[in-house]
Amino acid sequence: MPHGIGRIKIRLPRTIHKGQVIDVKTLIIHPMETGFRKDKATKRKVPAFYIDEVSVYYGGTLISRAKWTMAVSTNPFMSFYVKADKEAPLKIVWKDIKGGVYEKTVQVKPQ
Amino acid sequence: MKDNDFSNSRREFLKRTGFVSAALLSVSALSTFIPSQKGSLGGLMGALGPGEAQAAPAGIKEKLESTFGGRKVEMSHVVMKTPIIAENGAVVPINISSDLPMEPGNYVKKIYIFVDNNLDPFIASMDLTPANGKAALSLRIKMRKTSRVRTILEDSNGKLYGSTKTVKVTIGGCGG
Amino acid sequence: MIKKILNLHEVLTCAVLVLAVTWLSGFSPGGAWAADNKAGTTIEELTPSMSYAEYHKRYEAYYGDTTARMAEEGNPADFLLDDGKDLANKVEGSKGKSCASCHGKDALKLKGAATTYPRYDAKLSGIMTFALQINTCRQKQMGAKPLKYESYDQLALTMYIKSLSNGMPIKVSIAGPAQSFFEKGKIAYYKRQGQLNFSCAICHVQYAGYKARSNLISNNKHHADHWPSYRLKWGKTGSLQRRFRGCLKNMRAKRPPQQSEILRNMELYLTYINNGDLIQVPGMRM
Repeated sequence: MPHGIGRIKIRLPRTIHKGQVIDVKTLIIHPMETGFRKDKATKRKVPAFYIDEVSVYYGGTLISRAKWTMAVSTNPFMSFYVKADKEAPLKIVWKDIKGGVYEKTVQVKPQ
Repeated sequence: MKDNDFSNSRREFLKRTGFVSAALLSVSALSTFIPSQKGSLGGLMGALGPGEAQAAPAGIKEKLESTFGGRKVEMSHVVMKTPIIAENGAVVPINISSDLPMEPGNYVKKIYIFVDNNLDPFIASMDLTPANGKAALSLRIKMRKTSRVRTILEDSNGKLYGSTKTVKVTIGGCGG
Repeated sequence: MIKKILNLHEVLTCAVLVLAVTWLSGFSPGGAWAADNKAGTTIEELTPSMSYAEYHKRYEAYYGDTTARMAEEGNPADFLLDDGKDLANKVEGSKGKSCASCHGKDALKLKGAATTYPRYDAKLSGIMTFALQINTCRQKQMGAKPLKYESYDQLALTMYIKSLSNGMPIKVSIAGPAQSFFEKGKIAYYKRQGQLNFSCAICHVQYAGYKARSNLISNNKHHADHWPSYRLKWGKTGSLQRRFRGCLKNMRAKRPPQQSEILRNMELYLTYINNGDLIQVPGMRM
């Protein structure tokens, strides 16, 4: 899918209770080139291009940071948990090795 | 008379080759049942669960040694879900979850994922804090070939917990 | 004496070779085509390998619920759905219209439209597939260019409009003139072709549930309800006809182009035998 590197989807449960541990599912469009793949047309190696860092901020504080290598699949999917104990924005930032920064914020609204 | 000899010798030859090949086959079949004499690899590798007698690649040994030193890994409290067979090594879903506590002062600090037979065995890691509420991670990873997948959780006291599974990566005959 | 024996051997081997060649040629691609033309519409009798329940048991044991779980967690094709929605509202062409101009906001009036496709179309005097219908509509009603098949926009738009029928059962009809096209599709599905001399049915009827190398061959039930679908092997989204073409390539057979008559007939056949399945777009498959 060549369309839109860095397009992001973040999914939270529909209803969130205060203090509930919620599942956060994230999907981002990114080629995640390993640097080993050869382009069939040009017969040249496609240079490495992958996301190496993902940071999760909840209410402004860094709660998680992931370190990735090129061995994470194309269009990376990641899910993890967050304890929803306050109404605050959840910001996730992806950084790739060519300096690209992709981020998206969703509002966690516990009832 | 001569033609008799001819056919006899031919039959004899077939018989002999048949017997020899059968004998060879049975020997090779037997040898697979003879347990390997390598014994435990000791240290960290020994702690990483059964099936370690089949030699792990050098890359993963070095990586584990350099990341964790000689610390022992307890093979409990971690559940890893992987497919048994991945028809496509480029997308292998891994689900890790754990029942370890996530309270201030006693929480899972880091989750590691390793794949033995990848060029770089280190796949990904994730730092966690008590604000995560649960030590769990799902990721889709690339695998070069059939290999053991390891996950290791490090808690705030420096204790290690782990789980391993083997995923068969196949080259499909179908699939256009 | 030895010479005589050898001669006899030679004669025998020659005879066996000739026999083998004639026997084999009966099964060669050329032979099969010729036989087909002569016989007209005969269909090879094949017995299904096993019940669907048995097949499903094997599938679960072999692959588990991997792809189902992945589709639920996060399907990269979901991005196409969003784009498809935008495309449905986008004004294009000489008549200044969009899908939404006739079919309501977000083309929501097309809910359930996908369930009856593919179907017979009198103007086309052939089978109209859903993708072809969208392009025909664009050309005739909007005066816009048809979208290139398998292009991102085409897949996105088709997927979005089809997704409006999600959860509704497929109800394709083969009454009336569609009947003959259904028969043609069935013949195409059962016809042996290509260098490997397979037919679709050999694998997906007679050997479904067994293995081809390390793949479990899928049963042809639930083959039509999830297209366009994200495939891990492609690493992108594709249509049913792309899948047909992929299979034909593996059989080393000729590949008819997208939306050619033969593929449309096959799509009708495969969709009809899966009548009653709930549409679930986008799918996610290995």
